[in-house]
Amino acid sequence: MAMRPEDVLRLIAAARGDAICIPTMTTAPAWRDLAPDDLSVACVGFMGGASAMGLGLALARPDRRVVVFDGDGSLLMQLGSLATIAGAGARNLTHLVFKNGVYHTSGSQEIPGGLQVDFVTMAKGAGYRAAYAVHELDDFKKRLPSMLTDPGPLLVELYTGLSEKTPMTARGGQPFNQQAETLRTKLVRPR
Amino acid sequence: MPESIPAPLIIDTLKDTFREARAALAAEGVRPRHEHLGWILSVPDTHQKTVLAALDKERALRVLTCSTEDEANAVAAGLWMGGEPFVLMIQHAGLYASINTLRGVAMDGRVPIFYMIGLLSREKDKDPRESRHSMVRYCEPLLDVFGVPHARLEGPDDVHLIPEYYRLAQKRRGPAAVLVGLETM
Repeated sequence: MAMRPEDVLRLIAAARGDAICIPTMTTAPAWRDLAPDDLSVACVGFMGGASAMGLGLALARPDRRVVVFDGDGSLLMQLGSLATIAGAGARNLTHLVFKNGVYHTSGSQEIPGGLQVDFVTMAKGAGYRAAYAVHELDDFKKRLPSMLTDPGPLLVELYTGLSEKTPMTARGGQPFNQQAETLRTKLVRPR
Repeated sequence: MPESIPAPLIIDTLKDTFREARAALAAEGVRPRHEHLGWILSVPDTHQKTVLAALDKERALRVLTCSTEDEANAVAAGLWMGGEPFVLMIQHAGLYASINTLRGVAMDGRVPIFYMIGLLSREKDKDPRESRHSMVRYCEPLLDVFGVPHARLEGPDDVHLIPEYYRLAQKRRGPAAVLVGLETM
């Protein structure tokens, strides 16, 4: 049985420490509820950009872990970012792909290739330091500490079901520009 | 008539631009975390290839080659949040390919992104808006539609526009662009 995205995110919220987190699409509303802090920025308004934005943050702040909560449909939109991330060799980047096989937000149309698309093989082929899939929540829980500390770039494909909320059913939250400003203030001018 | 700009002149100007940016950050109390001056986010542009070649030898500037211009814009957002200066070096075709990301990141997202856009195939004896090539002809009108301030680098005397438009991007918290008129040398 596929993992519930909310259960995965709840575990991450408890374990992340001061990691910068980048949700996108269907992980964004749940993350907003679970981790209402100023160390996250949702990729909203430019679908597919979460991985590259995470790379920029990881390069700017090598002292921090950066965790991207990508979607399978979102990653397909900027699949070349796998090569860019691997080429940059960002050791502090963890790239989680919430894999449900559909574009949930727009009505659950199947993504090209559906669930057979193998992001683990793609990430390894692109040159990620490590990549693997996780199917069960217990396994995720066991591996989570190393996901947050192992040298990256690291990609983990998470077999998840559909989230309870989507950006269309749970509107709200700050717009991207405010989130970005808040995070920048937090990162460059620590109190 | 437009003239080609030597790559070393552009690189020196970029270094000065980044030094100024670092000084502005320091004045805000931002402590530097890197030894380099700034980032060049590039999707290789034939028009600016001599600059890109010369950048390979530069240690003060970090070059990140991106797979697409969409990516370059998103990487820029991350660098900005982390307090790093950067420039995007792309081609007009890349601008067209990434216009939604420019809108989402630089305009709606209010990330100050400075673009150096190569006008590949721009004719020396024609105004770009009258070019035979649609990819040259539509560049300025497209930037106008999106309200992106832009200027032409028509020769070595125009390199002062690089820091000016970089500053403009910071000041307006949005996109600003210079268009490289002829192939750099």
